[in-house]
Amino acid sequence: MKKILMNAALILSSTLLIAPAFAHDPAEHAKTAEAPDCEAMKKMDHSKMDMNDPVMQALMKKCSAAHSEHGDQHQGMDHDKTTATSKAASSANHEGHGSH
Amino acid sequence: MTLIKVILLTAIIMLLAGLGFIYSGVYPMGADVPHNGLTYRALETLREQSIARAAADIQVPDLSDAELLLAGGPDYNDMCAQCHLKPGVKRSDMSIGLYPSPPNLSLALDDHQHTHAGGNTASAKRQFWIIKHGIKASGMPAWGPTHDDQRIWAMVAFIQKLPTLTPEQYQILTAREPAETSHH
Repeated sequence: MKKILMNAALILSSTLLIAPAFAHDPAEHAKTAEAPDCEAMKKMDHSKMDMNDPVMQALMKKCSAAHSEHGDQHQGMDHDKTTATSKAASSANHEGHGSH
Repeated sequence: MTLIKVILLTAIIMLLAGLGFIYSGVYPMGADVPHNGLTYRALETLREQSIARAAADIQVPDLSDAELLLAGGPDYNDMCAQCHLKPGVKRSDMSIGLYPSPPNLSLALDDHQHTHAGGNTASAKRQFWIIKHGIKASGMPAWGPTHDDQRIWAMVAFIQKLPTLTPEQYQILTAREPAETSHH
């Protein structure tokens, strides 16, 4: 009886320990993750935007985070080692983004 | 005494008839054959009453924080949008194939096929309970065993705002943060 109880306790505790490992991990979606299309924000009617609306606040946060991330990437790059092609592409991207 | 015998005999006959029906296998179980109206209404009432009772004591936190939308959006897109759709998408293979048909959560409460009494608070309680516990034999899984309450509330916060979002806003809010992608 004691052995059965011990086995049951072991199975239960190991199940509880393993459970978080099955949690939906955002990293699973890293390969298919899309970047936020913040260019679409420019097309929105800003006169109708209520900055107290959590949706607007979330949009602003997301896009400001995406912009700063984009800026960080460029700061971290060694521009001397980039090819002329990638420099041209980078320049074109900056034109598309407007001022940072 | 005779009356009791008749009642007992009737109950036994009904029980045997019920068992016979179950074991006969004649009831169509395919998701492409809808229940008859009576069965559907009985199951729907059972479901709604059960959820309302179970969710009655749930305390709804403040869902107006923008951070909740940013956390709940990507999870909704990964876990729910295939069945419950998103702004600009009216149907998917899953939404067509599942039975009962999953509600289109990108529509306002009044428009997504059935209504729920009690307004936003009751709706938030209901959504939290359903996400956490799932619904038997409906295709709705229980996310509770693998997702903590905070993460589920973030999804509820996002779902509450979903009918107000444009496809463009949805794309921005549900995109995974650049910091979460593989190159970081």
